[in-house]
Amino acid sequence: MATKNAEAYEAVSKKYEWGFATDIEQEFAPKGLSEDTVRYISAKKGEPEWMLDWRLKAFRLWQTMEAPDWAKLNVPPIDYQDAYYYAEPKQKKTIASLDELDPEIRRTYEKLGIPIEEQKLLAGVEGAEPPRRVAVDAVFDSVSVATTFRDELKRAGVIFLSISEAIREYPELVKKWLGRVVPQRDNYFATLNSAVFSDGTFVYVPEGVRCPMELSTYFRINAENTGQFERTLIVADKGAYVSYLEGCTAPMRDENQLHAAVVELVALDHAEIKYSTVQNWYPGDENGVGGIYNFVTKRALCQGRNSKVSWTQVETGSAITWKYPSCVLAGENSVGEFYSVAVTNNRQQADTGTKMIHLGKGSRSTIVSKGISAGRSDNTYRGLVRVGPTAENVRNFTQCDSLLLGDQCGAHTVPYIEVRNPSAQIEHEATTSKISEDQLFYAMSRGLDQEAAVALIVNGFAREVLQQLPMEFAVEAQKLLGISLEGSVG
Amino acid sequence: MVEALDLPTTRGENWRWADMPALQAARALRGEADLPDRLLKGAARLVFVDGQLAEHLSDVDALDITRTTLASDHPLAAHANGDAVALALAAQSVTALEVVRLTTGEGHAPLAITLAADAVLTLVETFAGAGWSNALTRFDLATGARAMRAVRVVQEAGFVSTRDEVRVGEAASFVSTALAATGAGVRFDAMLTLDGDGAFAEFGGALLTREDQRQECAVRVRHARPNGQSHQLWRAVAADRSTASLAAAVEVARDAQKTDGEQSLRGLLLQRTATVNLKPELEIFADDVKCAHGATVGELDRRALFYMESRGIPAPRAKALLTRAFVADALGRIADESVREQFEAAADAWLEQTL
Repeated sequence: MATKNAEAYEAVSKKYEWGFATDIEQEFAPKGLSEDTVRYISAKKGEPEWMLDWRLKAFRLWQTMEAPDWAKLNVPPIDYQDAYYYAEPKQKKTIASLDELDPEIRRTYEKLGIPIEEQKLLAGVEGAEPPRRVAVDAVFDSVSVATTFRDELKRAGVIFLSISEAIREYPELVKKWLGRVVPQRDNYFATLNSAVFSDGTFVYVPEGVRCPMELSTYFRINAENTGQFERTLIVADKGAYVSYLEGCTAPMRDENQLHAAVVELVALDHAEIKYSTVQNWYPGDENGVGGIYNFVTKRALCQGRNSKVSWTQVETGSAITWKYPSCVLAGENSVGEFYSVAVTNNRQQADTGTKMIHLGKGSRSTIVSKGISAGRSDNTYRGLVRVGPTAENVRNFTQCDSLLLGDQCGAHTVPYIEVRNPSAQIEHEATTSKISEDQLFYAMSRGLDQEAAVALIVNGFAREVLQQLPMEFAVEAQKLLGISLEGSVG
Repeated sequence: MVEALDLPTTRGENWRWADMPALQAARALRGEADLPDRLLKGAARLVFVDGQLAEHLSDVDALDITRTTLASDHPLAAHANGDAVALALAAQSVTALEVVRLTTGEGHAPLAITLAADAVLTLVETFAGAGWSNALTRFDLATGARAMRAVRVVQEAGFVSTRDEVRVGEAASFVSTALAATGAGVRFDAMLTLDGDGAFAEFGGALLTREDQRQECAVRVRHARPNGQSHQLWRAVAADRSTASLAAAVEVARDAQKTDGEQSLRGLLLQRTATVNLKPELEIFADDVKCAHGATVGELDRRALFYMESRGIPAPRAKALLTRAFVADALGRIADESVREQFEAAADAWLEQTL
């Protein structure tokens, strides 16, 4: 039975504007995956011996592991030997200032709306009061090409640099925390990442420091046949606060490319980390050709008392998404939050959600997940709320709403709730709906065309999550949700 | 020594909370089984002893009993595959039936019940004895047929596993309520297909666990045709070191527009060493449906307790009353009053011993 929504979802399908490729000279690791590849990457990065050993240990583990198959995803077999694990834009080894950056790369980021220049604002928020600044770490294929506002951050005591630099400059800090939250043997994709991770961001906010600006990493896959394996590690020391944004795009290609990232967050006593993602990897075309396979492990450890981690994600891209940003709430009265909007269209498949592991007394978590499915896509929320036996007075509230646009798509909800302490209060609610004819009719009778009406309703549906985003990203996210906003709707 | 069976492992998504070691251990148990009292007055009775139809204990003169062959690919039910008792209920007939499964060691009892158009069945199933009692029951409801079923486990030791495979036809109605309030390990496993326009299904019950027991339900309702309605209402009370797990899934096929699916899973923990697991799952492929689930775990409502105490009801009594009401939510769906009272009495007895 076709409904009006079938036409309506046209409004949400829009062209992938970020699908261009940049033609620059690049240097690749030899194709394929072996110990030599791992050694090559480590040598390229000039890493110390301990780091190479750490990678090799992970690689040996990975060879004994099997890819997980429990998600509601149809993943074609991946040939791990048919890809490059390292691609580096050829440029001067060290650049003295941002002006020396390859103009092609600079133009790429400009085209993406991410100016790698200090004192500039991100697109869409000019005139915001007070002016907001964002420090950007730009990762191009396997290498971080630029990090802005370094000096100013350094004055505040904040360490913000690419992880390969951090391994060289702050080996003790990295050694202490790397793999603490997501150990090498965690899961198939995290183990692969541990072996071959190329670049990513390292953030350390010292005790009592409130990071003076938003930090951001923009990931760009450019090269063909290349996997991207970034690793992000953020440590907020006692009483620190940091807000971190992550964005990503890739060119349109007919082949599938693998993206397997690991993100580790650590929040000590009274610290707070806010982590926002707008995931916009190339989703493939309407017949499901091409697109990124996005297998990501994100986990936060709320180790300290009253620590807080908030994950916000807007997932619109990738052919396949397998991603469960989680919180281990070990600290007393620690707080975990997960706000997610996942949009799937055409033949996209998303299996995403969160895990809230309550170990600390009085820990609380909130989960708000909004799934929007259109086309022939499948969109699954998969979540776990676990309360340990010693975690007294735990509270959790979970809300999972699904919106179906069209009658060829699927919306699924798979929540697990495992409770071992009677003082816990766990609530879970879920609904599934479509855009009602009444809503559409009303909006259109007020003069909106169908596209604008659908966009309005979809944005309203996702409002609770979009509100959580820093303003820079809220703008991008609303755009991504399929509105022809042209900068007018805020 | 009983040879080891090839059983599902907890690595499988549907067996994550299953207690297969308990099932394996149950197979070595031997015990006596007495025929429990009837719950339905004047009802026909089918009695199985260790999976075999015991004609001398049964009372089925009024019924049309034949044999058939059942085959299921469910990992536990598959052990009950083969020669089965078949019961066909004629169009517009009204039947009251008790099925008793007595087990003294290991019993696999396959049973097929077919309801012709507008037939009405009131059914009470009882599991008694010791060891591993494994049931495969296939229901087929034709247009307008109605089945009202209550399942109780009185078996004190061992393991009871049931697998129901139910087809609910157009405008037919299948209502099933289960109660497990004994020392046995339990897995209530069911697959219901709403295979006709406007079909209705209710599947629920209560699991009461204590000591080191583990009980679970794993129910999947598949809406294959439009305008169907399903409710899954389960309550779990876990005491001591026990685990009660409720997994309920609703699946809505592409064509099943205007489906109304509802799940309510609630767990109550009596001690900190107990565990309740819930998994209310939705799998939706149609866009004009109403599906909602609610799931909660926790302890008794403190405000309600305070209120009752302020009205002069002692704390233990207030707790018992509230727990009773919690369980009664699920048992209240049993249509036959005397059966419902017996089930409630069994739950009360359990609560009295445990609280």
